[in-house]
Amino acid sequence: MKRIFGLFMIGVMLVSMTACAKNSAGDLPGHTTISIDKKEESIELFAMDTYMTISAYGNQAKCALQAAETRIRQLERLWSVTDPESELYMLNHSGGVPVEVDRVTAKAVSFALAIADRTGGALDPTIYPVLTSWGFTTSSYQIPSQDELDTLLRLIGYEKVLLEGHEVTLPDGVQMDLGSVAKGYTADIVTSILKDHGITSALIDLGGNIQTVGYKPDGSKWRVGIKDAYGDGNIGVLMVADCAVVSSGGYERYFIGDDEQTYWHIIDPSTGKPADSGLVSATVVCKEGRLGDALSTALFVMGLQDAETHWRENSDFEMILMTQDNELYITEGLEADFALNQSHEGMPVHVLRR
Amino acid sequence: MPAPHEGSIVEIVQDGIVLHQLDLERTEVQTIEIEYNGHVNTVQIDENGICILRADCPDQTCVSMGYLKENGLPIVCLPNRLVIQYGSENSEVDAVAR
Repeated sequence: MKRIFGLFMIGVMLVSMTACAKNSAGDLPGHTTISIDKKEESIELFAMDTYMTISAYGNQAKCALQAAETRIRQLERLWSVTDPESELYMLNHSGGVPVEVDRVTAKAVSFALAIADRTGGALDPTIYPVLTSWGFTTSSYQIPSQDELDTLLRLIGYEKVLLEGHEVTLPDGVQMDLGSVAKGYTADIVTSILKDHGITSALIDLGGNIQTVGYKPDGSKWRVGIKDAYGDGNIGVLMVADCAVVSSGGYERYFIGDDEQTYWHIIDPSTGKPADSGLVSATVVCKEGRLGDALSTALFVMGLQDAETHWRENSDFEMILMTQDNELYITEGLEADFALNQSHEGMPVHVLRR
Repeated sequence: MPAPHEGSIVEIVQDGIVLHQLDLERTEVQTIEIEYNGHVNTVQIDENGICILRADCPDQTCVSMGYLKENGLPIVCLPNRLVIQYGSENSEVDAVAR
């Protein structure tokens, strides 16, 4: 009996140690299946220049997360602007010659261009040379001269990018970066991977780009804090399920110049200077991370009025905007799920209604 | 004043591995030197909470974050892959959009 039990235990161990298969192993004879739907698995990693954590619940959570991590690393290698082996680097040093890229890169470029078009250029993936001139790409910050900006602005313009199938052509001097869509796009891919593994509850946090898969294991909505652009706390809490929450704000990356002014990394493509639209943060809530990522940047550049117009003209997102005067504007779709923190009790909250 | 959250367990995590788990309400005032590939972060725990007192990273973002706040945002030292955060069951929020 002891030997049979021993062999049985080895069998159980072997089955659980087997490399991940999409289908579950099924019941072993005489073995009771325990529901582990509520068991949390999570991973943490540093990638795409930021800190990422992903938590997933379900039988195949561990397997799903491993697959997600692998894919994140692949995307990082394709899209890193500074890595000489990346496709973006190749594109930016192509001297006007067409470059064949990976299918996912082509799709990401296509998406960035589509949003650039949709937002009238408020988002522009070709802003990279200007970002460099301010030192945001190397952290050696400086204030470029107006002459320098005027010269660089001639190289900016999403309409200069030619995308045909998997082939991208950038005129000499034009440079792209996917910084405004990469994390959101990656979050969408991670969501697909998790769902392919049967995961129905997960929380993805890619450097502050939040994406939720389904509801929490207990059936409640996820609680997502909205950061106060002016302080260390949160303005309030948004309850969400099965969607992305992405914020853009000057507070993410900025420097203070010798002139005591604050310069942040979200550039207005029409001026080549940090966007000064009256907003300190823009948060977008929508189905897909890629849209949240791209739109939150664009809305920050647009400012309150144009952002409101954009919301009225489209029906695929909700938003929370924080102004320089410390007031909040929230679209009506989020009203019921948003609560101000006690610490921000007096903050004026305006609800935008259709 | 922000509403106090329940629980006071904090974690010091490096490269994804939990180095220390402490109960702020029970642990004594102390300084912890954390070494990583020849770099050092000095973590302080006192009556105000937990913070990174000193670090030899170029940007000093982690030091400027001050004490760990109840809003759930972790203190992160990217170059040294160090994270200080509340234990998951104790935060008011599941994540912070930023």
